[in-house]
Amino acid sequence: MLITKNLTKKYEDFIAVDNLDLHIEEGSIFGFLGHNGAGKTTTISMLTTLILPSTGTATIGGYDIVKENLKVRKLLGYLPESVMLYGELTAYQNLKFFGELSGVENIDMRIDEVLELLQFTKWKNKKINTFSKGMRQRIGIAQSLLHKPKILFLDEPTSGLDPQGTKSMRDLLLMLNKEWGTTIFMNTHLLSEVTKICTHIGIIGRGKLLLSDSIEGVKKMFPGEKSLEEIYFKIEGDDAVEAGLDNSKKRI
Amino acid sequence: MQLKQAWIIAKKEFKAAFKDKIFVVITILFLLLSIMSVYIGGSTKNAELKAYSDIVAYIKSQGSSVFPPKPIIYPLAILQNIINYVSIVGAVLAVFLGFDTFSSEKENGTLRLLLSRPIYRDQLLSGKLLGGTMVIGLLLSVTLVFNTFLFTLVSDIKPEVLEISRLIVFILIAFCYMMSFYIASVFVSIKTKDRSFGFLVMLIAWITISFVIPQLAESQKAFAYALNSTAQSITKLPEDTTISKVIEIFSPAVQFQNIGGDLLQVSANSANISILEIFKIRFSSLVYMLIPGIVMLFGAYKSFLKEEV
Repeated sequence: MLITKNLTKKYEDFIAVDNLDLHIEEGSIFGFLGHNGAGKTTTISMLTTLILPSTGTATIGGYDIVKENLKVRKLLGYLPESVMLYGELTAYQNLKFFGELSGVENIDMRIDEVLELLQFTKWKNKKINTFSKGMRQRIGIAQSLLHKPKILFLDEPTSGLDPQGTKSMRDLLLMLNKEWGTTIFMNTHLLSEVTKICTHIGIIGRGKLLLSDSIEGVKKMFPGEKSLEEIYFKIEGDDAVEAGLDNSKKRI
Repeated sequence: MQLKQAWIIAKKEFKAAFKDKIFVVITILFLLLSIMSVYIGGSTKNAELKAYSDIVAYIKSQGSSVFPPKPIIYPLAILQNIINYVSIVGAVLAVFLGFDTFSSEKENGTLRLLLSRPIYRDQLLSGKLLGGTMVIGLLLSVTLVFNTFLFTLVSDIKPEVLEISRLIVFILIAFCYMMSFYIASVFVSIKTKDRSFGFLVMLIAWITISFVIPQLAESQKAFAYALNSTAQSITKLPEDTTISKVIEIFSPAVQFQNIGGDLLQVSANSANISILEIFKIRFSSLVYMLIPGIVMLFGAYKSFLKEEV
């Protein structure tokens, strides 16, 4: 479903993503882990065709993200971190706008279908600016599902949500993956989320891919470690500490 | 498909403009001012004609048959105040319409959503610009209809084809003038992530174009007069000087006022010449007025196609 080869993004002398090689199978839930500033959002921005890679290639569903970006966008759904949508419009108006832009046919029927799936029908005609963060995330997911995407990109989908909202989002993603077979690519720094829903993980540090495998594969790689958390800190820990020190120096 | 998507965005922009309370207030202010300008202009002309009739009646009552010449009424001059309203309030309105076109989308994260949809960036920008164009077009069309109606009602003059043509051309020029400000605001909103900063930049641009540059040109004229009157080479303030003309090139507001003044018969010199003749005389003004908008339009497309979100 998603393959990247030496995918790199440079900003002058800073390398945000460095020769990233990923291979994500259709139907998997991929958790992309890393500390703040590791390169997760830059990676997702390149894969969703929002920014151009400096070098390297990536394909989604067989389409090149640079040369065939319009075809790629038809395959993907995307939920950025903390999306607000259009606050002055109702949930229905927002969904209709994004659905029409994506060329969704029978838009009203599709909106009803998605809202029912997300158990959101009763808020259909309420304005977005009256919604809680969790509700906005839910409606954000709804807009990304309207055109039946093959792959869903989520940037920190549970960030800022309360425990109930987090659980609800987790259940929703599992259901989407199970019922619709949607491949999910999820940026996160919450290990608890990854262990509960992901089938595969990738760990990125300072723009470099440190590890990428199935959860089972990772556990086999580190037989001595009891939990994914311990494995994560073993792989990424030193890098995170260094990054933290770098950030402190910048602040000073 | 692509044109359809630009149209979807244009429709949304059009509706969103009229949901913005500040924009609605300025729109109402603009319409009220334009209506007031017709009323004041019409009343002034009627008072002028009445004063003339009173003088004639008085002379007749004195048994004389020698009357002063009847004042020449140029019908469209009744609307002349509208030139200033468009040049100042119209420009503010265009700035309000465009200053957060993209910066607000960046702030609330919707630009990333829009650009992840199957739509080309130039289509997205075209859709946004089309929405703004529709708003400005509607506003000026309403102004045209209102003013023509009020003009007939207040002045008792039935506008002829020539007058209506001049008024329509004036509205088209006003449209181009307001679009320049709108496009400049959109360009600024592409270049900044902060809508307040974008608004501040456009506010400074508006003050410079509408007040600072014209004032600078006026000061230069006064300075030239002061120098020459000391040397006793001239006796009155010149209408313009070479330097003041150069300064005014940088103010689309002044250029708009020049063209608008000719079209609305403000000056007796240009009141009776044809529209084509006005364009020949004011060709350079038209070019100076349009250039900033055209440059900003190209700049907006170039910047937005490269913009990393």
